[in-house]
Amino acid sequence: MHRPDLIDELRRIVGLRGVVADPHALMTYDADGCVLDTGNPVVVVLPTTTEQVSAVVRLAARAGLPLVPRGAGTGLTGGATAMSGGIMISSARMDKILEVDVRNGRVLCQPGVINYELSQYLKPYGFQFAPDPSSQKACTVGGNIANNSGGPHCLKYGITASHVYGVEMVLADGTVMWSGDGSPAPPGYDLTGVITGSEGTFGMVTAAWLKLTRLPEAVRVVLALFPDIAGASSTVSQVIASGLLPAALEIMDRLAIKAVNEMYRLGLPEQAGAALLIEVDGVEDGLDELLHDVTAICWRNGALDVRPARTQAEQNQVWAARKNAFGAMGRLAPTYYLVDTVVPRTRLPYTMEQVGKISRTFDLPIANVFHAGDGNLHPIILFDRRNRSQNQRALEAASGVLQVSIEQGGVISGEHGIGVEKRDYMTLLFSTEDLAAMAGLHQSFDPHDLFNPGKIFPKGRGCGELAALRRSGLRGEVA
Amino acid sequence: MMQLQSEMAALVGAAHVHNQPGAIQGQAPLMRVCPADREELAAVVAVAYQHGVGVVPQGGGTKQQWGHPPSSGFILLDTTRLNRVLIYEPDDLTISVEAGMTLGMLTATLAANGQMLPLDAPLPARSTVGGLLATGIDGPRRLGYSSSRDLLIGVQVVEANGRFSKAGGMVVKNVSGFDMMKLYIGSLGSLAIIVGANFKLIPRPRAAATIACAFEQPAAAFSLIHAIQASQLTPVAVEYLHGSAPPGLEAQAPLVVAVCAEGLPAAVERHVRDVSSMAERSAAVGVTLLRDDPHEAVWAAINDLSQTDALNPDEMVLRLSCLPADLERAVTDASDLAHRHALKLRIVARALSGMAYLRIQSHDAAALENYHHALLAAWPHISLLAGAAKQKAGAHIWGRAIPNLDLMQRIKHEFDPQNRLNPGRYI
Repeated sequence: MHRPDLIDELRRIVGLRGVVADPHALMTYDADGCVLDTGNPVVVVLPTTTEQVSAVVRLAARAGLPLVPRGAGTGLTGGATAMSGGIMISSARMDKILEVDVRNGRVLCQPGVINYELSQYLKPYGFQFAPDPSSQKACTVGGNIANNSGGPHCLKYGITASHVYGVEMVLADGTVMWSGDGSPAPPGYDLTGVITGSEGTFGMVTAAWLKLTRLPEAVRVVLALFPDIAGASSTVSQVIASGLLPAALEIMDRLAIKAVNEMYRLGLPEQAGAALLIEVDGVEDGLDELLHDVTAICWRNGALDVRPARTQAEQNQVWAARKNAFGAMGRLAPTYYLVDTVVPRTRLPYTMEQVGKISRTFDLPIANVFHAGDGNLHPIILFDRRNRSQNQRALEAASGVLQVSIEQGGVISGEHGIGVEKRDYMTLLFSTEDLAAMAGLHQSFDPHDLFNPGKIFPKGRGCGELAALRRSGLRGEVA
Repeated sequence: MMQLQSEMAALVGAAHVHNQPGAIQGQAPLMRVCPADREELAAVVAVAYQHGVGVVPQGGGTKQQWGHPPSSGFILLDTTRLNRVLIYEPDDLTISVEAGMTLGMLTATLAANGQMLPLDAPLPARSTVGGLLATGIDGPRRLGYSSSRDLLIGVQVVEANGRFSKAGGMVVKNVSGFDMMKLYIGSLGSLAIIVGANFKLIPRPRAAATIACAFEQPAAAFSLIHAIQASQLTPVAVEYLHGSAPPGLEAQAPLVVAVCAEGLPAAVERHVRDVSSMAERSAAVGVTLLRDDPHEAVWAAINDLSQTDALNPDEMVLRLSCLPADLERAVTDASDLAHRHALKLRIVARALSGMAYLRIQSHDAAALENYHHALLAAWPHISLLAGAAKQKAGAHIWGRAIPNLDLMQRIKHEFDPQNRLNPGRYI
C-alpha cells in the first residue's frame, strides 16, 4: 500500500487529528527513553476507541505493516521504538478513567491514563494504584502493563502483574478479547498473567481492570546516611534477612546525592557516601517498633545519621528527590545510560563494589539510585553521547554490569523490560529451549509477528524462527 | 506395552515402575513411573512421547478428582521422588525446590529459619509444590500474601516431548522475558510438567491471632465483612464459613467469619480490638479469640475444607469464582438453593476475594445435578472440582464456558501438539 493511501485510510478511521504524518513531527517518535536505539515509524496513529484500534490493526495486517504500540515513550529499552518502520499506535488519546468500582476494589482505565494521575484520582476514594515507577508522572498504565513495571513500593506491594485483573486486547486479526475482570479464578489459562510484561508483542491493550490498593493508615519515612554505599547495602541485606518488611528501601549514592542536593536543596551532607530511604507503612500500631528495629540495623552498619521525615511535606520532598533523581542526572553529564538488573539481596554489597570497579575500568562516572530492598540495581553510567569513545565505553560498562549481575545469580532486567536494548543479552540467561517456549507462547497470540517485531528475542533468533524450530521437534539437552 | 515397560524400567529402575496403579477417575494408567530426578523424568516423558502414550503427572494425587478423566492409554508420572531442596538462601528469602516436595515438608524446612510460603493448600502432608502450582489452588491467606501467582519467581518444566525449559530466576523482581510462570500456574499439567519451582519467601510473623465471629444470619456476617473491607485494617485472611465450623468453634452458630491477623504484636492487637468491636456492631452472637496452637489448628482445618481427596460417596465439591461484591449474593443463592432441595451444604469462602468452595451432599444424584445446573445458571464461573463420575460426565465442569477458548487451544497446540499431557482433562 502506498503511503498516501495508507494515511488516507488511517484518517478515515481515526479522523484528521488522529494521524501524525509530517516528517518533522514524526521525528519526535524516533526513540523512547532509550536514545541509543532509534527508528522512524511510517506514520503515527492516535485512536480514541477500541473499535478504531481494531480497524487500524486490520488495516496494518492487510498492508503487511508492523504495529508498534506506544504509551508515553518513557520506556528505557527501545520497547516503544519502531525499529522496522510500520505504524506506531499511540495510546495518548485513550486516556480516560472509565469506572471506579470500590466495592470490587478495581478501576477500569484506558491504556493512556497516566500512572500518577490515576493514583491522584483514586486518593479521595482512599485508594491508590500501587505500582509507582520513577517516571510515574509521565508514564501510562498501558506502558506499565506492557513492561510489568515496578517502582519503589513494589518491595511490599508487588509489581504491575499483581495489580492487573484483566485487560481488553486487540489481537492481530483485529478481534477484541477480555482476559478477565477481577473474578479470582475464571477457568482456563492465566492470559492476564502472560499478557502483562509481553512488551506490546501480543496485541494492543485497549482497556484494563486494575486493582485498587487501600492507602495505608500510617506511613513513616526516614533517611539514613552512610559514609559509603557498602554500609547502606549491608543494611538493606540485613533488614531483609531479619524478616522486617518495609514498604520501600531505596539507595542513592554520593553522585546521586550531589545531583539531587543541587536540584532539591535537600541539604544532605556531601560527605555522605550513600543515603538509604526507608519507608514503613500499615496500621499505626507497631509502626514505631518496626522503624526502631530498622534504625538499629542502620546504626549497627555505621550510619552517620538517621533523619526522620516528620511531616508530609518532608516526606514528599524526600520522595521527590528519589523519584526525580534520574532527571537530576542532567546536572552531571549530557547523557546517561541506566542499567536495570537484579541480584539476590545478599549479593548487593559485593555487586555494588564491582560496579565501582567497572566505573574506574571504563573511566566513566556511575551514579546509583536503586530499589535496594528488591536487589534491583540501577547503575547510571554518565557520558557524553557526542564523544564516540565515551559512547563505546558506556556500552561496554553496561555489559560489564550485566555480566557481574548474572555471575551473582542475577537477571538482566528487573522492571524495565528487554525491548531492543537487552534482546541480545537474553541468551546469557536462557537456553534455546527456554526462548523457544516463549516464542511458542508468542506465536499463539501473534502468529505473523505483527505487533512490535524485533523486540525481546535475540537478533538472528527471531520469534517465528524459534517457534518453527520448536515445532520441528527441538530436543535440548536436559540442563 | 511390555516394550514400554522395559524401557521405563531401564530408565528409572524396575522397582520404580508399578504395574497396577490405582485408576484416575475410573481410567487405569498403563503403569505408574516414579523417576528420581528431573533428568529421569524428562527421559520418561520422551520415551512415552515416542511410544505415543499420554502422560498424567501426579504429585500427592490429592487433586486428581479435578477435570475430566484422562483419555485412555497413559502412564501415571509420579513426581514424589523429586522432593529435594535445590537452593535455599535464607538471607535472600528465596528457595528453589523440586516439584514433588510436599508443602508440609517445605513449611517445616522454612520454619526452621523463621520463614514461610503462605500458600495454604489443603492436605499439606501430601500436596506437592508441583501439584499446588499446576492446579493453582489458593488458600485463605491469599488476601494478605497473594497466591502462587505472586510468590513463584522461577519455574523449571519438562515439555510434552521431554524437552526441558525454564523461566524466571532466583531474584524477587524479574522481567527478563515473558512471564511463563503465569502460564503454567493453573494449567493443570496440560502444557508442561513442572519439575522445579523457585519461590519468594515471607518472614514468619512475630505475632498472630484468630478472631472468630459467629453469626445467625448471612446479612450480619457480611456486614462485618464489609466493615473490614472499608477499614484500613490489613488482615491476612477473612473466611466465611457456613456449616463447616472448624474444631474449637463447632459449638457456635451456623455461620462463622474467621479473621486472621499476622504481623507485629501491636498491629495484631489492634486487629483483635477493632475486628471484635466491628463484630459486635454487626450483631455477632459470639466472638472467640484464638492464639498459638488453637489458632494454628483452626487454620489448618480451614485450609483443608477445600480438599477434594476424600469425598463422601454422595458428595460434590464446587468452586465458585465471582466479583468480591457479588459473593454475598452468591453464597445466599447457594444456600437458598440447598435449602430448597434439602441438600446438606458446607461453604468455605475467601470473603474479600470472591471465591467460595461449596461441598454439597445428597443421596439423590439427580438433586445434586439439578443443584449444579441451577447454580450455574446464575453464576457462570463454577468449576465442578469433584463428584461422582456419572455426574461429571457431560456436565459443564469448567463453568458455563471457558472464555477465550480458541486462544487457549492455540497455546495448548503450540505446547503439546500431539495432546499427550493430561489428555482430555482440561484445555
